[in-house]
Amino acid sequence: MASEEAKDYVLPPEVLEETVRASEELWKPVKKVKFRIYKYNPKKDYAPHWEEHELEVSKGMTVLDALLTIKGEMDPTLGVRYSCRMGLCGSCAMMINGKQMLACQTRVLEAAGDGDVVELRPLDNFPVERDLAADFTHFFEKHKSVKPWIIRSDEVELNNPTGPYKQTVDEYARYYQFTDCIKCGACLSACPTAATDYEYLGPQALAQAYRYMVDTRDDGLDVRIAVVDTEHGCWRCHFAASCSDVCPRGVDPAQGIQLLKRLIIKRKFGYKPHKPAEALPAKVKAESKSGG
Amino acid sequence: MRESTVMFLHYITAILIAITGLIHLLANNDPAIGPLIKSNTALYLGNMAIFLAALLYHAFNGVRVILIEMVPDRCWTKWIGWAILIVGVVTYAVGLQVLMVALGLA
Ligand code: SF4
Ligand code: SF4
Ligand code: FES
Repeated sequence: MASEEAKDYVLPPEVLEETVRASEELWKPVKKVKFRIYKYNPKKDYAPHWEEHELEVSKGMTVLDALLTIKGEMDPTLGVRYSCRMGLCGSCAMMINGKQMLACQTRVLEAAGDGDVVELRPLDNFPVERDLAADFTHFFEKHKSVKPWIIRSDEVELNNPTGPYKQTVDEYARYYQFTDCIKCGACLSACPTAATDYEYLGPQALAQAYRYMVDTRDDGLDVRIAVVDTEHGCWRCHFAASCSDVCPRGVDPAQGIQLLKRLIIKRKFGYKPHKPAEALPAKVKAESKSGG
Repeated sequence: MRESTVMFLHYITAILIAITGLIHLLANNDPAIGPLIKSNTALYLGNMAIFLAALLYHAFNGVRVILIEMVPDRCWTKWIGWAILIVGVVTYAVGLQVLMVALGLA
C-alpha cells in the first residue's frame, strides 16, 4: 500500500530530465558582472570607499548569493545583513543600482540589465552600521512609537481572555494589506521627506498606525492620533508615493497615510471607525467547536 | 493647536483663495459685475480681507512646513511656528491698512 502511494509521486523520467536540465540551465555561469560595493566602518574608517569584485553569474543567482560568494571567497570583512533568504524577514534591503530592493529577491542579471556593473550601497536615509548594513535603531523607535499592538480598555479580558475577539472577514480586509509589512526600511529610504526631516515618522510607522487604528479589535484610536498628528507626523507626507513604488511586499504605505489623514479629519467631527470588538461568548465558541 | 487643525485650515484657505480671488478678479475686470461689487464697499473690503487672510495663512503655512522639514530639530519646530505666526499677523495688519488707504477709508 505504502509503495503504491509512493509510486504516485515518482516523476516520469522525461519530466525529471527536463527539471534537471532547467536547474542546470539556471545555475550555469552566463556572464561576468562587476560588483561595486560600498565599504565603510564608521567606528574605524575616516571616510567610505568603494571596492570592486568580478564574478561569473548565472540566471538564478541573486544579489545576496553573489554577496555571500564574495564574502566567502574574496572579502571576508564584508558587512551584509540577511536571514531568511526568501523575502520574508526584511533584513537584506539595500540600494541596488540606485534603487531600494531586497538582495535575496533580486537576480543579478535583472539588476545589471544590459550592463555588466551592479552597484551596491546601504539604504539611503539610514545611518551606516557597516558596509551594506544600515542602522535600524531610529526606524524601529519610530515603529514602536505608534504602539503597534492591540490596545484595549478591558484589561481583565485582555489579560485573562475568555475567547477570541470577534472580527468579520470584511473588517479584516480593511487592514490586511498593511499586515504584510516586513519592516525592511525600503519605504523610509525612498521617502523624500525623510531625506531632510529625520524626525518624520515615515511611511512604515504611519501605515502601521493606520493598520491598528482600523483593526476592530483595537481601542487605541485617540492614543495613536496623539502620536501621528504632530509636526513631524502624517501631515508631512506629500504623497509622492516613492515609498509604495519600492515596497517589495506591495503594502502601499502611501495609501495608508492618506487614509490615516482622512481618519484623523473625520475623528475631529466625532467619527470613530468601529466599536471595539467584543470577545466571542462561550456559547458561540462551544457551538463552532462542535461544528454547529 | 493640533497639526491636523493647521492643515485642515490650509486646505480650507485654498478653497477660500479660489472663491475670493475669483470675486476680486471679477470686481476689477468684468464690466458688468465689476462696478456692482466695487460700489458695495463693505462687500469689496470684506472679500479682500478674507482673500488676504486666506492667502497669507496658506502661504506662510507653506513656508512653515518647508522650514520644519529643512530644520527637523524638535526644539526649533515650535519656534518656527511662533515666528511664522507673528510675521503673518503683522503682514496681515499692514496689508489691511494698505487696503483701507487704497479704498479711502483710512
Ligand atoms: S511598508 Fe513595505 S517597504 Fe516599508 S518597511 Fe514595510 S515592507 Fe518594507
Ligand atoms: S508618499 Fe509620503 S511617505 Fe511615501 S515617499 Fe512620499 S512623502 Fe514619503
Ligand atoms: S534575507 Fe530575509 S528578506 Fe532578504
